[in-house]
Amino acid sequence: MDNKIKERILSLAPEAIIEETQFISATIPSDKLRAVALALRNDKDMQFDYLQDLIGMDWGETLGVIYNIFSTPNNQKHVVLKTSTSEKESPELYTVSDIWDSATLYEREVYDLIGIRFINHPGLRRLFLRADWNGHPLRKDYDADPAKNPVPLINQTVEDMETTETLTLTNEGVVGSSFQLFGEKEYIVNMGPQHPATHGVLHLRISLEGETVNKIDPNFGYIHRGVEKMCESYTYPQILHLTDRLDYLSGTMNRHAVCLCVEKAIGLEVPERAHYIRTIMDELTRIASHLLGWGCMCMDMGSITAFVYGMRDREKIMDIFEESAGGRLMANYNVIGGVAKDIHPNFLQRVRDFIPYMRKMLKEYHILFTENPIARGRMKGIGFLTTEQAISYGVTGPAGRASGWMNDVRKIEPYAAYDKIKFEPMMRTEGGTFERYIVRLDEVEESLKMLEQLVDNMPEGDFCAKTKAIIRIPEGEYFQRVENARGDFGVFISSKGDKSPYRIKFRTPCMTLVSALSPITCGEKLADLVMIGASLDYVIPCIDR
Amino acid sequence: MFDFKIVTDWIDNLLRVQIGIPSFWTLAIEFIIVGVVFLSAYAVLALILIYVERKICAFFQCRIGPNRVGKWGLLQSIADMIKILLKEIISIDRSDKFLFVLAPFFVIMGSILTFAALPFGKGLHAIDFNIGIFYLMAVSSLGIIGILLAGWSSNNKYTLIGAMRSGAQLVSYELSAALALMTVVVLSGTMQLSQIVEKQNTVWNIFHGFAAIPTFIAFIIYLIAGHAETNRGPFDLPEAESELTAGYHTEYSGITFGFYYLAEYMNMFIVAAIATTVFLGGWMPLHIPGWGAFNHIMDYIPTVIWFFGKVAVCVFFALWVRWTFPRLRIDQLLKFEWKILMPISLLNLLLMALVVTLI
Amino acid sequence: MKSVIEYIKKIVVGIWNLMLGMKITWINLFRKKITEQYPENRDTQVMFERFRGLLTMPHNANNEHKCTACGICQMNCPNGTIQVISKTETDEATGKSKKVLDQYLYNLGSCIFCDLCVQTCPSDAIAWSQKFEHSVFRREILLKQLNKPGSKMAEKVKPTTVETK
Repeated sequence: MDNKIKERILSLAPEAIIEETQFISATIPSDKLRAVALALRNDKDMQFDYLQDLIGMDWGETLGVIYNIFSTPNNQKHVVLKTSTSEKESPELYTVSDIWDSATLYEREVYDLIGIRFINHPGLRRLFLRADWNGHPLRKDYDADPAKNPVPLINQTVEDMETTETLTLTNEGVVGSSFQLFGEKEYIVNMGPQHPATHGVLHLRISLEGETVNKIDPNFGYIHRGVEKMCESYTYPQILHLTDRLDYLSGTMNRHAVCLCVEKAIGLEVPERAHYIRTIMDELTRIASHLLGWGCMCMDMGSITAFVYGMRDREKIMDIFEESAGGRLMANYNVIGGVAKDIHPNFLQRVRDFIPYMRKMLKEYHILFTENPIARGRMKGIGFLTTEQAISYGVTGPAGRASGWMNDVRKIEPYAAYDKIKFEPMMRTEGGTFERYIVRLDEVEESLKMLEQLVDNMPEGDFCAKTKAIIRIPEGEYFQRVENARGDFGVFISSKGDKSPYRIKFRTPCMTLVSALSPITCGEKLADLVMIGASLDYVIPCIDR
Repeated sequence: MFDFKIVTDWIDNLLRVQIGIPSFWTLAIEFIIVGVVFLSAYAVLALILIYVERKICAFFQCRIGPNRVGKWGLLQSIADMIKILLKEIISIDRSDKFLFVLAPFFVIMGSILTFAALPFGKGLHAIDFNIGIFYLMAVSSLGIIGILLAGWSSNNKYTLIGAMRSGAQLVSYELSAALALMTVVVLSGTMQLSQIVEKQNTVWNIFHGFAAIPTFIAFIIYLIAGHAETNRGPFDLPEAESELTAGYHTEYSGITFGFYYLAEYMNMFIVAAIATTVFLGGWMPLHIPGWGAFNHIMDYIPTVIWFFGKVAVCVFFALWVRWTFPRLRIDQLLKFEWKILMPISLLNLLLMALVVTLI
Repeated sequence: MKSVIEYIKKIVVGIWNLMLGMKITWINLFRKKITEQYPENRDTQVMFERFRGLLTMPHNANNEHKCTACGICQMNCPNGTIQVISKTETDEATGKSKKVLDQYLYNLGSCIFCDLCVQTCPSDAIAWSQKFEHSVFRREILLKQLNKPGSKMAEKVKPTTVETK
């Protein structure tokens, strides 16, 4: 397989530089990238259909993009493509958003934060920052002077957001033109950013025809804190505390990803006990997150009682966390090398008591809500996402598995103690709202089975490996993926040997979930939009970082 | 059984004969007394109902509910009432001011007029028409006007959508509710409420021999349709917060919103009260035919206690349903009414007519 | 005819499932209530011992602490919550001058309770207490000085056995 990929790339782009480490990494000149991407995507024996991440880089002299692509039929083979341009004033690269749909939002982010403009992108505009922001923050020569970007004291009009400049490739070369987001006659309704049902500060602009939704345009950036830029001045132990605040419901798993990435980079061996403890904490966090997602979904439908029941059970998990780690939601438990403290003596007994209690409660939830004809009537038969759409938009996690796409990172690239226990990823095939709902509850049951195996087989030993006081990662680029409660959480660290990373990028699952909202809801009724959003279960700080 | 007529006759006698006030003024004073009693009973019952709902909702959710203001939180409703009376009434720019102020009054009027016609105990019955049930259905429809006016006059496209939906819902469910009540009229042969209660002297309508089956079905249909009319329970889409439109009473604040809130709770009470009167025997104690001594003991419990006890059971049922189920979408709501409830209630009416003629 | 049977079956099954759902809420009506009666239960409430409530510098009976003013906690803090101000003091016995702690300033308003300071402290000088009631009316009260007035560093006892971490 590796040789075939190499040959194909070299045949289309003879000047490409290919490195082979755990994955094939190819640096391709910018004008040949599209041909290579098309070939890798469409060839019968390649089929790299999942674009996991599109990372904008400022390499000092050049600005470029790194593409992380995976091939689902070939057991998620990983290939990295890199390209760059040395034009720093107005860099331009060709878009891949017609090849992979998830690239639409990713390229907007790269344009926003690095400044690279993508030719033939449908509607290139800023993603997180205001349309009149000066500068591109993730560039190394960014001027962070507050006087350059003062806080505006008058309201920005909505029309400023609607017209963008796109670049199209015509016979005269690259030409810029103006692009209207919504037509003149379209009836636009605003949902959010303050709304009880958007699960965070998400601003959706919905174009309606009667009660039917035509198009949805999400507007991000209300909770953008510049986490990636902040990380460039933090040491690696300090970065861990920022990851907790991304998708705060699966904070433990986010920290786990960064710890694994750093440990892989410095070649640190984590003790077995620490792996088991980390896995137990991950699965408990997954149950807590799914309970909250389930509760919020029921509350959006009107059943507040179900929400309170979900919170009541989540309190038990919070107690377990607080006893061992010291914090409830922000447990701060994983550190580089293992876990911060050994588990409390009561920990295993509490987990053992929790498992049958949760099973009983799950049965009650199924009777109370899943069998309810009113709930079924509101969930069944709406909001379909086909498998191809799911892969193309990069919808991972329970939402992707409900559409029949096997994308569980715990099975594909096992980490921690996942290769030592038996479990099955929960899958459904229809991809509707009801299936996404049911997959979450099934995953809770599966996590309980995993917890039983982990708790019974906990090895003795050390809970943390010793690390240096100041951790420096050797020069290079490192990737790591972890299965978050919402999908595939990826970390990319590019280091130049310092104690702070040169560039860090978090691939967050929720951005693709929100981008999939538009194809799912087109043609559905407005009243179903709330349920579809709740079934996708996104958390906005994860998107905005 | 204690007949409240004794008290009303005594007051009448006092004013007319002993003090010697002319007839016109006696009637005027009596009307004023009845009005004041009813308005205060209305408000006090609403406060009690609000407290009961909060406590029961909390118990269903494994919580305690209000327990700080007064022992067991009993004064919480009063504190809320004082708060809502003191709130600022925000006037809306470019709204139809006359209709905007008028709308809550329609809703409250519809509610109070229905309230006044209910038999609370033996003799404790303010207006005893011979077309009692017809009057109840007619007057409770006044509330719909209030809702539509509120949605229109708020100058807000979301409230208009909410009011339209609510209007469609109320008009549809009126039919099923009326048909269910008609079933009992067929059984009793009269529309007069006090007569219907008197006829349940031997046994409540819901246990009435062979007619119990259609009566029971009509009871369930009436409860469902009645609650759909009050915008409560699983049928509260027009006023839910987490849907896209926030409902017809978004733009109201302070006591004007308080009117809608009050009217909703009292409508729930009224639906339960009508259901008790017509199906469960009203203020009539539980009499089992043939057990004379038992019936005699039951008669000692005052009729008012019987009435409110039965209403409490119905209200509890309503709260139970509301806090268990999610909401129906508007098209599912209307489909439920027109395709399921309406055919069943028509068939039920037919069945009751057959039972009454043949048995 | 078949559609009529389907219709009736749908209604009956629907009602049955609705009643089962109501049974669950009925059962929950009688379960023990989970509300904690805070603040009435302040006396009997027990917080977990590892709970990160408030950063403190434990002083022993002689008003001595263990802080050597090394400043490692200040370096590790992600947002500048800790400020270690040290002064040089001449030791009377040996005549050598060494650095001792003057003021250990801690800003509760900006602390993110990340535990990095406690984890990296080489002398176990700071620890978490379980106090969680931090609301105050003025922000200046949140700037705390952790070392008590008149306290000094406790002399280190030479270990007789080798400590293993």
